[in-house]
Amino acid sequence: MTTTSPTPTSSPAPATLALPGRWRVPGWGTCLLVAIIAELFYFTLTTRQFAGGGQGMLNLTEQFAPTGVLALGLAMVILTGNIDLSCAANASLAAVIAGTVLDKGGSPAAAILAAVAVATFVGLFNGVLVAFVGIDSLLVTLATQFIITSVATSVAGASPPFGFSSSFTLIGQSGIDYVPIALLVFAVIAIAVIVTIGYTGLGRSLTLIGYNPSAARYSGIAIRRSLTSAFTLCGALSGVAGVLLAAYYNSAQPDIGADLLLPGITAVILGGMDIFGGRGRIGEVVLAVFVLGYMSQGMLIEGDSSLSITMITGLVLIGALVVKFAFERNFRQRMNARMRRLRAPLHRDAHG
Amino acid sequence: MTTAGDVGTASGARRELAVPPRWSWLLRRREILVTAVIVVVVAASTAAHPYFWASSNLAFIFADSVVIAFLALGESFVMIGRGIDLSVGAIMGLSAIFVGFRIQNDGISLLPAVLLGAGVGIVLGLGNAILVGVVRLPPIIATLGTLSVYSGLEFVVTNGNQVDTIPNSITNLGSDTVLPGVPVILLLTLPFVLISAWVLRYTTFGRSIYAVGDDAEAAYRAGIPVQRVLFSTYLVSGLFAGLGGVAYLIYTSGASSTSGINDNLTAIAAAIIGGTALTGGVGGALGALVGSVFLTVTLTAMSFAHVSDVWQPAGVGVLVLLAVVYDSRSRSRSLSRTGGGRRARGQRRRGQQPRSATARSSSPAFPGEGGTR
Repeated sequence: MTTTSPTPTSSPAPATLALPGRWRVPGWGTCLLVAIIAELFYFTLTTRQFAGGGQGMLNLTEQFAPTGVLALGLAMVILTGNIDLSCAANASLAAVIAGTVLDKGGSPAAAILAAVAVATFVGLFNGVLVAFVGIDSLLVTLATQFIITSVATSVAGASPPFGFSSSFTLIGQSGIDYVPIALLVFAVIAIAVIVTIGYTGLGRSLTLIGYNPSAARYSGIAIRRSLTSAFTLCGALSGVAGVLLAAYYNSAQPDIGADLLLPGITAVILGGMDIFGGRGRIGEVVLAVFVLGYMSQGMLIEGDSSLSITMITGLVLIGALVVKFAFERNFRQRMNARMRRLRAPLHRDAHG
Repeated sequence: MTTAGDVGTASGARRELAVPPRWSWLLRRREILVTAVIVVVVAASTAAHPYFWASSNLAFIFADSVVIAFLALGESFVMIGRGIDLSVGAIMGLSAIFVGFRIQNDGISLLPAVLLGAGVGIVLGLGNAILVGVVRLPPIIATLGTLSVYSGLEFVVTNGNQVDTIPNSITNLGSDTVLPGVPVILLLTLPFVLISAWVLRYTTFGRSIYAVGDDAEAAYRAGIPVQRVLFSTYLVSGLFAGLGGVAYLIYTSGASSTSGINDNLTAIAAAIIGGTALTGGVGGALGALVGSVFLTVTLTAMSFAHVSDVWQPAGVGVLVLLAVVYDSRSRSRSLSRTGGGRRARGQRRRGQQPRSATARSSSPAFPGEGGTR
């Protein structure tokens, strides 16, 4: 862009592009919104059970709220240019911990606290290994994923806990008036994450670390501390996701969260987050969670198996990325070229 | 790319070179080091349980590690080129399913089975190759997508059936031994490993992979067709995963819709333990084999020591962490770009595009990494 003379449209771009959550109408977000509406229409028309007078649609969110919470945590880590492969295993561990505490006669509050605390600690462990020991996050979380899985299986034992008291399962299964509690939890966390990333110093640090690590270092950002916070928050949200899972399924299998990793990452990427960090909006990730969630739930109701839905999810991810990459690469270059051609005669006139 | 991080790497490398090369080369050759550790583990386990040294147990270990070795071998090609392939396990599973059904229903013999497996692997690898080499998606996302697609496809193809009647003439390859403890399948695998090692070390293609993995920008300027090399690495990875599917059939004498789903990360772990770095430009084919054998030997030793099977994944995880922590080079490298490893990769990929006019590479406020052009 430096080759062209600065145009009024391009000069503020670098400043606003980096930071999510500004009041610009985002093209990708609009696409996702249209996709959600189209899905809702399509499934309402094709399958009778889908809409359920509006209530059915709302209740479906219970099924993908855990994925959404997990995706929000992942989004923070991916924003810094790292990745957390262990978050799904971490959610399973949290579910198992919550189940075990309940099984031993603990109160629901104690169970939730214990689960989230353990998950947060795992996140902190990941963060310290990545930020302070300096190992690539892909490797760290690959390794911790294995370790956490073992711990979860071992804690759950031969007969994993199930059948919890209704005061715990209502988190995942019932609602206040018409709104499922799981959806409320997701909404609260989504708003909290949007505010954190878009409007606080920590959010700006995380974005800048992902956007340009050396610039972040030179501008005096505490990179290590910020990175550790991102991983810790991701761990905490994985814990919340695990609690929601345990409450929804009323059991705590040690692999209860394993299936969340793929949809979680897919939601973040589909939500326009750059896998190399530094670019993306949490709001769009939230939209992507709904796009994916309603798509898979609608297809489940239509009678597709969950594994063929995994396949469709993968195809959607690849398709969306190909479109998005082509759009970003060609469209912008073509626009710049057109601008240059338009401006060229003007320059000649001015000099001549 | 003249960042402070890269300067730090350069000085780190110089310091390493300053060590007099007397004994250090032994420790720096990862294959030799890991082999030594394998010998120690085997010796200790044999001392505790004499059955560990039994021919059938050793053959079992080797047959098990051959499956992972094929995956790790393909993964090495990709990882040396600074990519990652998360879909190898699914490709292996699909290949095992396709080949298994043909063996079960049509009774094809070993050679056609191997050719079919290789074909399936190449076709599936082509998907990754196009996404990464032509469309230029980031490898981690592209292969994550194909992982979902292929593992879903496994389910669709099997349609609830499974392969369970593989004739003994084929499964015996995994249990029959040529020498005590050396199963036939290991002998059949060795040529692939040796050819890979030769290709990586002595051919233009192999050297190009190292060059691309080390610094894609420099490789591009040196006239290496970067995208074509990357394209080929994913094809090779698919090919070996397809062959791994046949090995899987021989070893487990069956296949179902979930075959290989969990082997992606194990394969990456084996490659890393064998000395191939995720940061690209380092590694080799022998390392993949040695790393796989090491993983299997250690896990078997764990179960001989009455550690519950539950802790096997944790064992893999700890070994990966140890391998990475030991590899100071990859550590200092990623430390110098705190959290920017994958991002730096993306920058290089973008750097190859002629004068890319994205806002990110030309933001004037951050002179540090804007200097790709």
